[in-house]
Amino acid sequence: MNRRYVVRRLLQVLPAVASILVVTFAVVHAAPGDPVVAVAGESGDEEYYAFMREKFGLDRPLLTQFWTYSTNVLRGDLGVSFVQSQSVVALIAERVPATLLLMGSALVVSTVGGVLLGAMAARRPFGPFDLGVSTGALIGYALPSFWLAQLAMLTIAFRTGWFPIQGMTDARASYTGLAHWADVAHHMVLPSLVLAASEIALITRIARTGILAEMDSDYVRVAQAKGLSPTGALVHHALRNALLPVVTVVGTRIGFLFSGAVLVETVFGWPGLGRLVLSAAQTRDHPLLLGMVLLVAFSLVLANLVTDLIYARVDPRIRYR
Amino acid sequence: MRKHVTVAALAMMLVATACGGGGDDTPDAQSGPTTSAAPVRGGTLVVAISSDPGSLNPAVTSNGGVHTASEPMFNGLVGWGTDGKPTPELAESWTIEGNGTAYRFALRQGVKWHDGRDFTSDDVKFSFERALLRLHARTQASLGSANVTIETPDPRTVIFRFPQPYAPLLQQLNVTEAPIIPKHVYEGCSDLATVAGCPANKTPVGTGPFKLDSYTIQEIKMSKNPDYFRPGLPYLDGLVQRVIPDQGTQLLALENKEIDWVGSVPGADIERIKANRAIETATAPRGSGGGNCTLSVAFNMKPPAARTPFFTELRTRQAFWHAVNREQAFRTVSFNQGKVAPAPINSSIAFASAPGLPLPNFDVNRAKTLLDQVGWKDEGGGARVARGVPNVPDGTRFEIDWHGFAGDQTTYGEQLRGQLRDVGIVLQVKTEDNATFSANVFRNREFDTAVVSYCHGDDPEIGFRRTVDSRQISATAFSNGAGYSNPEVDALLDRGAREPDPAKRTPIYRELQQILVRDLPYVWLTESASLRAYNANCTGFNHQNTGLFAEAASCRK
Repeated sequence: MNRRYVVRRLLQVLPAVASILVVTFAVVHAAPGDPVVAVAGESGDEEYYAFMREKFGLDRPLLTQFWTYSTNVLRGDLGVSFVQSQSVVALIAERVPATLLLMGSALVVSTVGGVLLGAMAARRPFGPFDLGVSTGALIGYALPSFWLAQLAMLTIAFRTGWFPIQGMTDARASYTGLAHWADVAHHMVLPSLVLAASEIALITRIARTGILAEMDSDYVRVAQAKGLSPTGALVHHALRNALLPVVTVVGTRIGFLFSGAVLVETVFGWPGLGRLVLSAAQTRDHPLLLGMVLLVAFSLVLANLVTDLIYARVDPRIRYR
Repeated sequence: MRKHVTVAALAMMLVATACGGGGDDTPDAQSGPTTSAAPVRGGTLVVAISSDPGSLNPAVTSNGGVHTASEPMFNGLVGWGTDGKPTPELAESWTIEGNGTAYRFALRQGVKWHDGRDFTSDDVKFSFERALLRLHARTQASLGSANVTIETPDPRTVIFRFPQPYAPLLQQLNVTEAPIIPKHVYEGCSDLATVAGCPANKTPVGTGPFKLDSYTIQEIKMSKNPDYFRPGLPYLDGLVQRVIPDQGTQLLALENKEIDWVGSVPGADIERIKANRAIETATAPRGSGGGNCTLSVAFNMKPPAARTPFFTELRTRQAFWHAVNREQAFRTVSFNQGKVAPAPINSSIAFASAPGLPLPNFDVNRAKTLLDQVGWKDEGGGARVARGVPNVPDGTRFEIDWHGFAGDQTTYGEQLRGQLRDVGIVLQVKTEDNATFSANVFRNREFDTAVVSYCHGDDPEIGFRRTVDSRQISATAFSNGAGYSNPEVDALLDRGAREPDPAKRTPIYRELQQILVRDLPYVWLTESASLRAYNANCTGFNHQNTGLFAEAASCRK
């Protein structure tokens, strides 16, 4: 892994994030609705609004506001939420673990599960298993996650009682240590499966196609001619090369996974970032909303970098300079 | 009727509870309609709330989310029973002096804040002067504009003085309208600059039956206040408020016994919930956003100059009324929860509401005739066209917008859209969130019709005055949305507020509503009610007092 390459890529992040910042800032300020009115709720008169506007700096020209905000961001200060009067960094940090847990487990489940299903389907292309998996993948990819979430609640959680309907922990118990994590894991099964569903579907399709293409290439045929079983050739030779497109897709799906998490968290009452971004948008909480967008933009760019680095690990022919 | 405990029955039982025994508030008289055994002590009640309130200080806002979450930890001076009589809370007794210009309260002895300090009259003065009168919207609008001054001659006495007689004070002192907060905790954050960021907003100290254990993004955990001033209460050891944004999820969690209490069941789910034998239901006319809410359609009678003044003409408003079938919309949208509004003032304020006044009935032909007379001509092709309508350029099509929140408010819009199309009015429903709605309707007045849930509270002064008082046409959200201005109405509102004798207030409010029914600044659609649903093992809830709903609740194991 080349250090100079990593540094250069990280520097490329800056213009990307900067332009995202400009666009989001403009969009947030152009949106109808006034954060000051949202903060004041039912109370408040013109005097109060003017006071709040001055306090938040909303009375200054837009360019000045943007300059103040971006210089603060460069210093690592994302400002203070209008509504919650708490630092945006703290508000986000408080909720990141819950969302990371959900997204992380969904990512693992969908990648491992997708590759596995894809590989099994590719062993006998157009056989009954392949047809079943392909059809299922198509349906899974098409289903909206909030609907799937409600379906899962009704059919799995409610009918069988195997899993809880909502939350991250049991509201009545106060577990500690290992029991606490077992409780969290129990609560996490359904939301992470629902979040993973469309990703599994996509990755299954891509893994299957990739493996089929590789199984048709000369080196796999040679391996089989030398006596390797089809499964052996798949696992030891074709799979690694077929993983390249999978890695690409997983890297670019982080953003989609996040937007899925917003919905899934709301339906399952999961206390993560999703609910925060929703309420920030509803109350026109500019600093909080911008902070969230920055976070997502930054993680997307970072995910792309990691994807490229993983390429080099998977395929030794790829080198970065 | 086993499952459907009516509010009246519960309220009677609870009033009996609050004033039971020798008037010393012992809970001995406690006996629910579903159980005659002594209440079970202990256990935790898990309640669903829809959003993380962000703050737990009810004195500086009238926001419903903040109030729902925080009220169990606080008290008002005076509670409010369904028999229309105030009940003692932090104030033990009171006398009205000077024909209603002064109210003297004797505070309860020995009440302690959750941090162990004594509750005194200084706390009351502080709560009103530094928080409620400045930042609690309804209290600011009503008590604030009555120019109240508060005196504390000694630690046990509070006197409210008014320049003119002020009738509705006792109705405005419960934990929803006027929660009392401790001076020593909130003193450092009592001005506009610091109140929002006050650390105590997240670590509240009150006098209420429950005190805070922890406040996380997932839930607010409270435990029993062992020093609560009503001996023996609360029965529960703990109260957990769990944030579950989705209403469907809340109900499933209740059915799955993960939680015990849901504050409001959506119309479509009512039958299913009522059929569940493990769940009890009760109708309540209030939530923590204030009680006795009337869903009202505001006509924009004061649009900006560049906007077509569709509704400045009375006959056009009459035509709109005649075109609307309120009964049908009520059945389809509200699933018979609450009732079709019988009068401008909510019928739960029995002494003030004037039923039987001639509100325009559903009459399509009458609507069409009126529109023709005004100059709105049916030229085929949907919307009518202006031909000689006063202040409206000829050729203007009768196409109007309808602003409202997502949910019932826009569902009513969809319902009424079909009805209005039949008379040649084309309605476009605009679903907006609070920020957009407040800006469009109250601040900029860029709307034709807007649907608002105005909560009238227990007195017309609390939540009704603002809807029709011309001095409350302002950018303040949920003020006089219609922009209706009538000096006669203003004068009657003032007279009603100053008349200390309730019996003499009734004819004043009747006269007021006669004028309103003539002028029709709003369509008063529906008086809302919410259906509470809770674990059938639990009993003793007070559905009238949202803040202290679980004060005397208990759950069988």
